[in-house]
Amino acid sequence: MDEGIANLIVQALCAGAFVTVKVTAGALIVALAIGMVSASVAALTSNRLVQVAIRVYVELLRNVPSLTFLFLLYFGLASLGVRLSSMAAAILGLGMIGGAVTVDIFRSGFLSVPVGQKEAAASIGLSPLLSFRLIVLPQGLKLAMPSVGNYAIGLIKDTSLVAAIAAPEVMFNARQLVNETFQTALIYGSAAVVYLVLTGLMAQSVMFIERRLETQ
Amino acid sequence: MMFLEIIADNIADWAPRLLAGLRLTLSLTAAGFSLALALSLLVEYMRSRRNIWVSSIARLYITIARGIPILVVLYLLYFALPGAGVALPAFLAGSVGLALVYAAYLAEVFRAGLGAVPTGQREAALAIGLTPRQAFQHVLLPQAIRYTIAPLVINMVSLLKDSSICALITVPELTLVSREIMSESFRPLHVFALTAMLYFGLAWPASLIARIIENRFQNGSPVTKCCQQTALPPGPKTLSQLQSLP
Repeated sequence: MDEGIANLIVQALCAGAFVTVKVTAGALIVALAIGMVSASVAALTSNRLVQVAIRVYVELLRNVPSLTFLFLLYFGLASLGVRLSSMAAAILGLGMIGGAVTVDIFRSGFLSVPVGQKEAAASIGLSPLLSFRLIVLPQGLKLAMPSVGNYAIGLIKDTSLVAAIAAPEVMFNARQLVNETFQTALIYGSAAVVYLVLTGLMAQSVMFIERRLETQ
Repeated sequence: MMFLEIIADNIADWAPRLLAGLRLTLSLTAAGFSLALALSLLVEYMRSRRNIWVSSIARLYITIARGIPILVVLYLLYFALPGAGVALPAFLAGSVGLALVYAAYLAEVFRAGLGAVPTGQREAALAIGLTPRQAFQHVLLPQAIRYTIAPLVINMVSLLKDSSICALITVPELTLVSREIMSESFRPLHVFALTAMLYFGLAWPASLIARIIENRFQNGSPVTKCCQQTALPPGPKTLSQLQSLP
């Protein structure tokens, strides 16, 4: 293998990794925002309509493939005149799907807070809202942390799908380079290593955050 | 309703093609999941061995399979393997790729299932004179299976959804078929909405069944029963309600 190709591969994959990180970060923020707000609203409201709306959102997005949803968002909206860039569609699409996942994660986190905590909060006279904000929310988030970490690691891998809507991330660049150089095994093998490094880094940082939370 | 009218106009043309794609999606899921089951049992068996080499290989396999996207595995199998002289047809590459990845997830499910059986069960089985093998077969395995059914169904739903990725290695399953229809008809919204509904129709009932199984076994198991939280007793729930009582 000559050095030129090695250089090309490193360049393409590094540029791709940068985009992958950007999509992951963007989708993670969207997903956490949707999940956090919906789970909190669901925990606080007794309005059946809101509860059902959140449930429908979760069930719909959790039972449709990410790729199909990305196509729907990218090509489908364009036919309505809403033309999203492939990066915007990638972040929005993966974020919306992730939101459905994180709603469930946060919800079960809130439910895992021992009932005694809520009883104690109520007995010292905290209102339901204050009890949620001061007692349930902090403990629930801590309990939800491991699952959020797992979701974030899965998200890195799912970003590979946005290659199909032409976002220039690792797999998209790899594919292009394969078409130019025909070094199929080498390039896709290197892409695999890039993902292993990225998911490994994410796993390490999740573990670090969890340890920090435990010592607090 | 413009939306429904357009679908109604085209349904005669689209339906047979979409159903053919759906059939392939189901075959991919069935083939991928059965292969993954077999492979995962092997991986979990290897990991539970005392031999450090055997168990390390299994561990390494799980780490790698969980760390790289399915798309990479599929590209390697379909585009790179022919370079080594092994040309797999797209369907085979797809189902093998899905199975290779899901074997790692299912191995984790089996490990968690066996781990959920209290150690006292094994000790008791050995104490009444069963051999380790008999203890595994008659005491541990039947209990472990109850803990694994729901996660297995959930993983099958995920595999069904991930089978859509095989569209990118030219397996003409549901997602690829709908892409083709889209590029002919220029009706992406309608076609993909229809496709999403087909996936939903398959995945949602399975998800519901998994949830029912999960709740059922959870309520019955001694582990969760003793740790169940006490519900708030009926009556005044906040101090203000207490004070408002006569």
